[in-house]
Amino acid sequence: MTVFHFFNCAILTFGPHAVYYSATPLSEYDTIGTSAKAAAVYLGTALVKLVCLATFLKESENGNFDPYQELLKVLINFIDVAGLYFALTQLTHRNISQNHKFQAVGLGWAFADSVLHRLAPLWVGARGLEFTWEYVFQGLEANANLVLNLSLAALGSLMWLRKNKPRILIPIIYACAGVLATMPSITRSDGKYLFITTMW
Amino acid sequence: MAGRRRGRCGGGVEVLESIYSVVALVLILVACVELGDAATAVDVYRLIQYDLAGVPYGSRFGGLNHHAGAFPFAPGADFSRTVVMMPVRELNFTFLREYIINKQQLGGLLFLLPQKVSKKIVGEIKSKDDGLMRKILVELEQLLIHASIPYPVYFAFEDDKINALLADVRRSDATGQPATATTGGYKLVVSSPEPKKLSSPTITNIQGWLPGLKGDGDTNQLPTIAVVAPYDTFGAAPALSVGSDGNGSGVVALLEIARLFSRLYSNPKTRGRYNLLFGLTSGGPYNYNGTLKWLRSFDQRLRESIDYAICLNSIGSWNNELWIHVSKPPENAYIKQVHESLSDVAKEQGVTIGIKHKKINISDPRVAWEHEQFSRLRITAVTLSELSAAPELLKNTGGLYDTRDSVDEAAVYRSIRLIAESLARHIYGYQGRNIQIFADNSSLAVNPSYVKSWLDLLSRTPRVGPFLSKTDPIISALKKELSDHTVEVHLQHEMIDGMFSFYDSTRATLYIYQVASVAFDLLLLLVLGSYLILLFSFLVITTRGLDDLINMFRRPPSRKVKAS
Repeated sequence: MTVFHFFNCAILTFGPHAVYYSATPLSEYDTIGTSAKAAAVYLGTALVKLVCLATFLKESENGNFDPYQELLKVLINFIDVAGLYFALTQLTHRNISQNHKFQAVGLGWAFADSVLHRLAPLWVGARGLEFTWEYVFQGLEANANLVLNLSLAALGSLMWLRKNKPRILIPIIYACAGVLATMPSITRSDGKYLFITTMW
Repeated sequence: MAGRRRGRCGGGVEVLESIYSVVALVLILVACVELGDAATAVDVYRLIQYDLAGVPYGSRFGGLNHHAGAFPFAPGADFSRTVVMMPVRELNFTFLREYIINKQQLGGLLFLLPQKVSKKIVGEIKSKDDGLMRKILVELEQLLIHASIPYPVYFAFEDDKINALLADVRRSDATGQPATATTGGYKLVVSSPEPKKLSSPTITNIQGWLPGLKGDGDTNQLPTIAVVAPYDTFGAAPALSVGSDGNGSGVVALLEIARLFSRLYSNPKTRGRYNLLFGLTSGGPYNYNGTLKWLRSFDQRLRESIDYAICLNSIGSWNNELWIHVSKPPENAYIKQVHESLSDVAKEQGVTIGIKHKKINISDPRVAWEHEQFSRLRITAVTLSELSAAPELLKNTGGLYDTRDSVDEAAVYRSIRLIAESLARHIYGYQGRNIQIFADNSSLAVNPSYVKSWLDLLSRTPRVGPFLSKTDPIISALKKELSDHTVEVHLQHEMIDGMFSFYDSTRATLYIYQVASVAFDLLLLLVLGSYLILLFSFLVITTRGLDDLINMFRRPPSRKVKAS
């Protein structure tokens, strides 16, 4: 019955992505190509971040707050933002409206994130006899992550794709973007651990 | 140009194919990944499985994969798919007997033995609890080894994790039903292969020889005195049968006597006019089969030259009384001589030696004492033991209770003093004289740390004869030790008599998983299904409008309307 549990957690983790795709007009406009391209860009971004982290980051011995290390981590986080920018603006998409473009990109981004970070632990762990809540929580995290990525993509499209923004909103938008990019550093309590999972 | 493109396409197709095969390989590999993710892993020891003259005894199965259950039970509940966990401290013999003797089917049995208590101070009287535990373990062992049990039986030691688990299982059992697949709980898994019969189990006898001083005019063979002790054990859990008292104490005594006499014999001035033969025999629990084969291998001259033999059996936990067991009547001159030499020394040391006579019945295959094998070949022999009555088959052979705590090294020390002193007086002709050859604080004193370290080693080594290979470390250790003290050390490998056959797989690892019931999984599926449906409807309504959602479910009727 443990494959049953694996199946349950899998549909919790990946189901919402499929549901989102089929429920919204995305399926009508057949934007799967856009999502696939966004997933590929995410993969590239993740690899670049990994290499940068490995090269530039030093392991701190006593866990004190080292401002330079944190600054470095924030800068590496911006690679994420850069990847999203690339996916939104530089790729050639079919002729789909702005509205659907950011949704498709966000969906592809979130799906790639889920597959990369959650599929392997799920496959190896949830099939065992031992029962834990861990994988259900992971699935819930995947759901939240989907919402986060969609909003990030929306923010991104507001920043880079719309040419006529109301003047008042511009600083707010850029402030939000800045906060989102550095959020992992701020929300870290003790968690180098927490930090690295959010960074990943 | 077209050809080049086709070539490139062909190359592309090849790359794709290799990618597919790599992906398929990776998928197959990934499907095989099975990590051990149990909450707890415990060392467990299986009940012995053996056949005696074709009749099966012991637990006949090895693999285990069932839910755990414990007392108190609802009466009349079905346990054929439950592993019953029973702590030995609170054993319920009526329940056990009912299940074993009536051959009712259980999923399995797991006995929880108490943790080894820390070593007591020497000389302290054993507490009442220990006596009770010993009684329980003896009774349990006898019940289990004389029954044929069609499900796996394992022994494990109590520790915090298992106790917590037991408490948990008891709590959930208190609500009534024993745990099954639909109610969740703990699953106990032992994945050991089917136990196979041991193909040709060997028992190994080890002997050492200390030659005496041959005078110039002596043409005859010198007389020989033999000191013999069986070193192997038999118990309900062969991986736990260390037999400290039965017969680790005898083995240690033999080694120390060998050491003392080798010191005496190393100098020609103190070499006695007797040869000394030391024998560590195997096959003790099986009617002293090994001793018989060892004696049969003797040269006729050697057999005739043996003056008498002393067999040592369980001399590690007595206070002031020992027994000599004989098969010739006590009035026999030779027996009298041996008895007197031992009792004279014993009186000086404040020990009473009683004598017990048990006649041999030639037609009875049961050999209760080792000296009977000697007597059947007309060699005078006695067995020195703390047991006052002959043990029955497979009893007192080093079982579950016979661990380091059950043997007192002071008792072994006293036994060695007694035997060595009486042997020396006989060899050097000092009978009746009050002389201490192996006095304390002399260079020939019995070495207490030697005794202690060998007792400790033997108490850590399970020694069920058929499970020891020809080159087992303990056999090599005993051989080396005897070679240090004696000469002409031989190993004799024999097959056990056809009556006994044994099965392997004596220890395993038990994995304990906490599992959720099927009902839980179904409930979770239901919840997730409804969540996804809600999400779907929500998204359709917000992005496309409520009409679209309704239309999705109305499409077939509208098509029919259109057709008509």
